[in-house]
Amino acid sequence: MAIIERPSLAPAVIGDEVASPPALVTPTAAMGVFKRPVSTTGWKSWVFTVDHKKLGIMYGAVALFFFLVGGAEALLIRLQLAAPDNTVLSADLYNQMFTMHATTMVFLFVMPMAAAFANYFIPLQIGARDVAFPRINAVGFWLFLFGGLFLNSAWFLGGAADGGWFMYSPNSSPLFSPSHGIDFWLLGLQITGIASLVGAMNLIVTILNMRAPGMSLMRMPVFTWMQLVTQFLLLFAMPVITVALFLLGFQRNFGAAFFDVDKGADPLLWQHLFWIFGHPEVYIIILPSFGIISEVLPTFARKPLFGYKFVVFSGAAIGFIGWGVWAHHMFASGLGPVSVAVFSAATMLVAIPTGVKICNWTLTLWGGKLWFTTAMNFAIGVIVLFTIGGLSGVTHASAPADTQQTDTYHIVAHFHYVIVGGAVMGLFAGFYYWWPKMFGKMLSERMGKWNFWLMFFGVNLTFAPMHILGMQGQPRRMVVWPSKLTGEGFFNLGFWNKVATLGSFTIALGVLLFVINIIITTKKGAKAPLDPWDARTLEWLTASPPKEHNFDSIPTVHALDEFFHRKYEEVDTADGARLVKVKTGEEVLAIEEAAGDAHIHLPSPSYWPIVLALSFPVIAYGIIFNRMLSVVGAGILVIALFGWVLEPSVADDSDYDPPAEGSGPTKELASIG
Amino acid sequence: MADITIHKSDAVQVEAAGHDEHGHNDHGPGGAHVTATGLSNNKMAMWLFLGSECLLFGGLISTYMLYRGRQGSGPGPAQVFDIPLTSVSSFILLMSSLTMVLAVNAAKRLDDKNTRLWLMATALLGALFVGGQVYEFTAFYQEGLGFTTSLFSSSFFTLTGFHGVHVTLGVVMLIALAAIIGRGRITGDKAEVVEIVGLYWHFVDVVWVVIFTLVYLIPA
Amino acid sequence: MEQSENMQSRSCGRRVAGRRYVALAVGVGVLLAGCAKNAPQDTFQPAGSNARKIDGLQRELFYISGVVGVIVFAFVGYAVWKFKDRGQEIPEQTHGNPKLEILLTILPAVILAVVAVPSIAAVFELDKKDNDCVINVTGQQWWWEYDYVQGSTCGGVEITKSIVTSSELVIPADVDVLLRITSRDVIHSYWIPRLNGKRDAVPGRLHTLRMQADQPGIYTGQCTEFCGLSHARMRQAAVALNKADFQTWVTNQTADYVAPEAGTLAATGEGTFQAQCSKCHQVNDLKTADGTPVLAAPDLYVVSGVAPNLTKLMTRTAFAGWTFDLISAECRDKLWNAPPDEFGALYLQGVTPECFDEANLRTWLRNAPAMKPMYADPAKLAATGGKTRGMPNLNLTENQIDELIAYLLERK
Repeated sequence: MAIIERPSLAPAVIGDEVASPPALVTPTAAMGVFKRPVSTTGWKSWVFTVDHKKLGIMYGAVALFFFLVGGAEALLIRLQLAAPDNTVLSADLYNQMFTMHATTMVFLFVMPMAAAFANYFIPLQIGARDVAFPRINAVGFWLFLFGGLFLNSAWFLGGAADGGWFMYSPNSSPLFSPSHGIDFWLLGLQITGIASLVGAMNLIVTILNMRAPGMSLMRMPVFTWMQLVTQFLLLFAMPVITVALFLLGFQRNFGAAFFDVDKGADPLLWQHLFWIFGHPEVYIIILPSFGIISEVLPTFARKPLFGYKFVVFSGAAIGFIGWGVWAHHMFASGLGPVSVAVFSAATMLVAIPTGVKICNWTLTLWGGKLWFTTAMNFAIGVIVLFTIGGLSGVTHASAPADTQQTDTYHIVAHFHYVIVGGAVMGLFAGFYYWWPKMFGKMLSERMGKWNFWLMFFGVNLTFAPMHILGMQGQPRRMVVWPSKLTGEGFFNLGFWNKVATLGSFTIALGVLLFVINIIITTKKGAKAPLDPWDARTLEWLTASPPKEHNFDSIPTVHALDEFFHRKYEEVDTADGARLVKVKTGEEVLAIEEAAGDAHIHLPSPSYWPIVLALSFPVIAYGIIFNRMLSVVGAGILVIALFGWVLEPSVADDSDYDPPAEGSGPTKELASIG
Repeated sequence: MADITIHKSDAVQVEAAGHDEHGHNDHGPGGAHVTATGLSNNKMAMWLFLGSECLLFGGLISTYMLYRGRQGSGPGPAQVFDIPLTSVSSFILLMSSLTMVLAVNAAKRLDDKNTRLWLMATALLGALFVGGQVYEFTAFYQEGLGFTTSLFSSSFFTLTGFHGVHVTLGVVMLIALAAIIGRGRITGDKAEVVEIVGLYWHFVDVVWVVIFTLVYLIPA
Repeated sequence: MEQSENMQSRSCGRRVAGRRYVALAVGVGVLLAGCAKNAPQDTFQPAGSNARKIDGLQRELFYISGVVGVIVFAFVGYAVWKFKDRGQEIPEQTHGNPKLEILLTILPAVILAVVAVPSIAAVFELDKKDNDCVINVTGQQWWWEYDYVQGSTCGGVEITKSIVTSSELVIPADVDVLLRITSRDVIHSYWIPRLNGKRDAVPGRLHTLRMQADQPGIYTGQCTEFCGLSHARMRQAAVALNKADFQTWVTNQTADYVAPEAGTLAATGEGTFQAQCSKCHQVNDLKTADGTPVLAAPDLYVVSGVAPNLTKLMTRTAFAGWTFDLISAECRDKLWNAPPDEFGALYLQGVTPECFDEANLRTWLRNAPAMKPMYADPAKLAATGGKTRGMPNLNLTENQIDELIAYLLERK
């Protein structure tokens, strides 16, 4: 049920120097080309929604779909590598497969899944009723969806991109990659890039401007903090990759010279631009997950995060130092010894704030009262697996050592421990932790535990052997490895490649169990109470799932972990002061609701975000196949922009229900059927 | 869920939701703008956008600086640049910042007529600048400097072209804003909307000062 | 080491008091580290000074990481076991301990400083260019070309005539060699794991890489920068010979062309070679019947502009980006496992009739792109103006193949 904003009856803004109050803008007077949509049920309530929670759920569902796609690609890759000189995939298809596996997992799974949680929980955690720019929020989602579909449509239109996700020039020039795969990749990433950029602006403004009274920055939940850092990284990293993509796109489609070595181009330009984006991107991937486990660990340890300030500042420090280390991806590129030395030292510096985080998480467990739910298991799994990934990272922070390790499976092992063991396991902690809040249903803990252990063993089984493979000299991105180089003895390539393949299917089984868990519990799961974990932060001070307007009254915040402190109080007993639960979550919520606001504004749904987003893939297909189509797309874009601007900020007056009787002294129904 | 919801604005507005950039900001009874930082959402978003744009132009300018000496067999900067002409168009763009300031001032005085006048003046100056750029590009092309000629030409046209597109979009925004003000369609804080468009305009102007200096004035 | 880390993580995750297992795992890990046998690309088995320097650094890093890992996992494992919910009270809501935090920040900084200093020193040391031999190395899709410049000396051996060869880099043992690396098309990366780390071959740029092997022997490697369709089939090897053997090798490489005896199959093969292969492949000093020098012009037919020089094909043990063996598996094993003092003699025999593995070469000549994907399909060459990347299918008859094999077998 949408709640439609009714216009103000009072004159809008007026400063002191009002000459004459401007005429009141009423819905009918402001009515543009279209009315606002008002559906509250059925598909329209999703397609035209601007509700941050619905958008969050859609982000999550689509990201999960792409996770399965990327996972299937990974399994094919592992099947191909299970035996020497294997023929499951052709060289051409294999190159497309690893390019799209990385692209899908990074841009279409981890980033949007983090965005799903950000969308859903940031407003709840800071005590807001929606984000700052709801329509921009919606356009972000649609751009991500259409960009992802566009990117993957290449599979059916002549082959996907085959240059690796890093797309080094000049191998990405039309001369060396004549199919349209890379054009799809470039344009698809531009589209999802716009989504990330507008999302970043929206979320930063939301976090900074829309906090509930009393929620100072240092009382913000850590998840919100890490998202704030992430969004700043996105804000500054996306334009750099945008430039790189434009340069390459202009070369491929309009004959520009940027990476044409015959004309004197320097191929390292692409590498610098890509990694100036690419390294912050690593932190864009991992920080949201750090935020999630920084919520999960304190909840299930029943004590506050150890060293909250250190965790926050180290997160910010990681974000900052992350800008100064990009060239450690290029130690073998021939930068010259001085650059290499500087970047090598800077890279080691990143290990310090990262180490701080690991220590703080461990010390959060210390002295706690640990409750091992599935979410908690995943969070502890992150500590363990991320530590392995971090430590193997230190082994190639040293540039000379990196010249042996780079572009081998050792690196593949390293970043999969970081991304799967760190980011993905963290997202799974988020699934199990927040699922009851999002859907009002408990996920099965029994299946959850199986899910966790399968994934935990699977990750180790898959990626630990890759450390060995890499140090034994197996390079990355190779469709085959020859039997004559396998070696003998314990460390032979044949055995460990098979183990890794086995491991990848173990992970897949874990993920499958998660999907089954969702399906079964959605059908007949237990209804979730509003605070099943005895949690600490404001998102739990809502119904499960939260009402459309989140909070009946905006809570006033007095402390970090506000919700916990409303439930627990120190009580003097014979043995001294003890923390005692004095109220249940339901009771705390009841108190809040009794003082509910009489007047709540919510944004109206809109037709334009999806139309605006739709114009981009049309333009992109046009660039590849027929420029006239681009013109059509540009037309849609212009119409959408004008529709957007001229759209009334509220629905038509007649769309409102009449005030309801007897719904409380200061309440009035205005929901739309 | 059917128990609450009301939509009047005479309540205490702490964290009301959903202002979108289309207006409908939250103004309490006294007209005060309530956000946690005191800066309005729209203005903060524009500042963030401009921060992001810095990196975009940073990347393009770096590319140009790397490649400006690589002209191959085509004409180089010294052969094609017409400094006096570009200086004039730069001056025109700088003047447009002045008219933009006047527009913002008028908007703060709630003087719709002058606001629209100065907005249109700004748009006109911007359009003149774009016209100068089109003329310049045409001249370069005739002198043998095509987009694909050399690394210098590709990066020059890309950098200045991106800036030109920014100015063009700015002109469209200015004209649209003047029209919307004329039809009384702005629902929020009118002066702030003008100010926000002004922020964008000044940014584009400042970027041009950097480009003009690095590309035209400092020899390769 | 990585093995032990892995085991530790599992034991911790299992919430066992994992210390015994951790100790066991570390022990097993250390034991196994010496266990890689006949692993030709094992970075932990350096065979030259540069790789040894890196190996020292690398081991130090693995040990430190391992120890830190064990400590972290021990703490996590202990906390998980000790503070499990056994009905204890809700703990005191403490927010941390700044002194401890500062200590925990400084500690890793100190450890990293200890690691950083030798790393940075090594960066500069590995960049020195005080060498006794310079060889030009050029990468292209999907093989390496080596060029020994006429008039230079290499480890005291004079290069009297330019030597252009491919796939197998022959160097004098115990001599500091400097490779000058570049590329003709996309980025490649030159890597011989047991001799040094890798260095990218970037078109338009010249990078250097030091190479030194203590002992005569063969050290395999691989292109490690993704370079397109057949990236996986762009391999290489470095062959180190003692000084006398290296002199013999140079003398042979610079020797005059010997035409096949008239009337043999090989002599027919010379004609077939000129008709079918010489457009791209050079055989030095090859002349037509009327005495005109036969000069290959691969730049007209191949994107990278070059094709392997086949003058001394049969002095090498593999072809087509060192992907397919010219010698049988048996002979290869014998060569690879030869003791250093016998290696040179064995290698200098080249491809002998007993060792020749005809099947590979024959299949290749029948249809090269079927063996190694190479964008040789004429229908898909619009972007390259009809040039192929790699060898196309020449549709040779079985007779022609017989003749060519006979001819090529004498190129040693």
